[in-house]
Amino acid sequence: MKTKILLAVIFFVSAVFGQSIGKDHSKLPVECKTCHACDQPTKRNPCLVPCPREEMITIHMNPEDSPDVITIDQFKGQSDLYSKVVFSHRLHAEMSGMSGGCAMCHHYNPPGNVISCVDCHEKERKRADITKPDLKGAYHRQCLECHREWSTDTGCESCHAQKVKPGSPEPKISKSERKERVHPKIIEPTKKVYKTDDYENGTLVTFYHNEHTALFGLECSSCHKNETCAKCHSQFEKVAEAEPSFEKQHERCASCHDTDNCESCHTTKELPPFDHGKATGFILKTYHADLSCSKCHKSSKTFTGLNKNCVNCHEPWSAETFDHKVTGVILDETHTEFECENCHVESYSVKPTCDMCHEAEISFPKKIPGKRIK
Amino acid sequence: MAKQSRRNFLKTAAAVGATATGMSVLSPKKAEAAPENILSVDRMGVLVDTTVCIGCRRCEWACKQAHDLPAGNIESYNDEATFDKKRRPDDTALTVVNKYPTENKPHVPTYLKVQCMHCDKPACVSACIVGAFSKKENGSVVWDGSKCIGCRYCMVACPFQIPAFEFEKALEPKIMKCDFCFERTKEGKLPACVDICPVETLTYGKRSDLIQLAEERLKLYPDRYKNKIFGETEVGGTSWLYLASNDFQKMDFPKLGAAPAPGVSESIQHGIFAYFIPPVAFYALLGGIMYITKNKDKSEEE
Repeated sequence: MKTKILLAVIFFVSAVFGQSIGKDHSKLPVECKTCHACDQPTKRNPCLVPCPREEMITIHMNPEDSPDVITIDQFKGQSDLYSKVVFSHRLHAEMSGMSGGCAMCHHYNPPGNVISCVDCHEKERKRADITKPDLKGAYHRQCLECHREWSTDTGCESCHAQKVKPGSPEPKISKSERKERVHPKIIEPTKKVYKTDDYENGTLVTFYHNEHTALFGLECSSCHKNETCAKCHSQFEKVAEAEPSFEKQHERCASCHDTDNCESCHTTKELPPFDHGKATGFILKTYHADLSCSKCHKSSKTFTGLNKNCVNCHEPWSAETFDHKVTGVILDETHTEFECENCHVESYSVKPTCDMCHEAEISFPKKIPGKRIK
Repeated sequence: MAKQSRRNFLKTAAAVGATATGMSVLSPKKAEAAPENILSVDRMGVLVDTTVCIGCRRCEWACKQAHDLPAGNIESYNDEATFDKKRRPDDTALTVVNKYPTENKPHVPTYLKVQCMHCDKPACVSACIVGAFSKKENGSVVWDGSKCIGCRYCMVACPFQIPAFEFEKALEPKIMKCDFCFERTKEGKLPACVDICPVETLTYGKRSDLIQLAEERLKLYPDRYKNKIFGETEVGGTSWLYLASNDFQKMDFPKLGAAPAPGVSESIQHGIFAYFIPPVAFYALLGGIMYITKNKDKSEEE
């Protein structure tokens, strides 16, 4: 009986599990034809097309959770010219943050776990299916596609030691060093002023980088999606690119900002940092100053003017239901007894002082009518 | 080269001559390689994707190793100065890699491996008067040293100027060119350059599969490549095919039409010999002279 139950459980679990993978798979936001050549792909014959490198990867792993180093020694059995490679995986995962993420290398990962290169790329160079490179080719292409772009050093010894000569020097960086390597912290600029001489009405665009990250809470990858390593690391002088199109030039700003009013960005003078009071007439004081933009401007992207009435954001309140705690001070028993107006004589935005009722030696904020919680 | 006896040479020459004339009688306009040459549908080839080549020149080293040529130290191949001048394959190196600037990526050079293209309609096979060259079933064009008489017509005929001659050697000089590692492939191995290439710039496979693969890549990455598979149609098609992000002519590839190179040489050669014109004309001339002299004698006697 016990075994029967166990079998039933196993069957049930596997059925549910198996089905869920299948379901997820067909729910992917890609056309079936992107990957399958035939109308009815089966498990036995999935009729996969040559690697389309579509965005279909479901890897959402933090670089910190990924392996520190990966030792690539798939060819150790073969007579090869060079020895194994110790690949600093975490360092590369961190660096990929602004250039496409995991998918940059794991370019054709089916839904589910991260699969390794050898699962798709055959070890044998002499093979029937030549639609994708063999394993050795795939490894080298993946590394060198970036490495040769920012450095002309495609020398084999920068990654692995020579095997043919015993006692030949080890690769430039040892395994333990590789394990500890992290990308140096990227120092972000505060302000950048772009010269736009073609637009005569305003030849300057002032861009406060720090505002976008600190104030507006944008991640690096919100804007920097497909940066190449060579953008920072290139050892070559930058060559002026051909004049990009209007759309291309404005692409980054336009993903959040309207491009209808040119003068809102293109000005004759450098702009001061963003000031909510000056720009909108609503000065952010005390509690509002600490809030993130999205707390009030709930519809993302458009930070259009809000109704300045308190009730636009705050629930309408009455003296009976008001919880004084939200102001940061829990009133003690004595003070709870009073009417609001007893202390808040003029306006709620002006903090009441103790001397309105008490003798001079009792003064706010040294003495508090209750307990401060903020 | 010198191993061939006079008797054998005359036999082959007679055979080649007979086929050439015979063929020209039957179809004077159609150029064909000698009958022992095969153009198999399953012939092999190599697709060279120049956009992934890193210029490590390991193929050059492996090629020399495989062909018993002095290869030298593998580290010496890392010397960037080698790329300062453009090189051609010669009798000491059957394949060479050259460096060119890339049009759409100025900092990433394009490296280009050059060797025999192993034409489907090889001009060397056609030009060789003793049949020392042949197109094999697996696609390779190979040279047979035991037949060669050293006329070097092959060097003149080749549209890619590949066959090289060992001028330095006084005795038994050889015609040197890539043989698609005919001996290795016979044993089931890959050509030495294909085997060693770290990035698999060189993909070895059936020529028909390679064209399909190349078309697929052109479709998937239109920004990466110039829309052209060099060797698909050039001089009637070649076993080695190339993809690149540059114009091929800017990388010293000759500008060639789709007509097979032997077509030109053969039509001239065979045109002259068509319908037994030279022998007939020669005998007619001799006959004429005989006739005239005979008449002269007669008239003098009278």
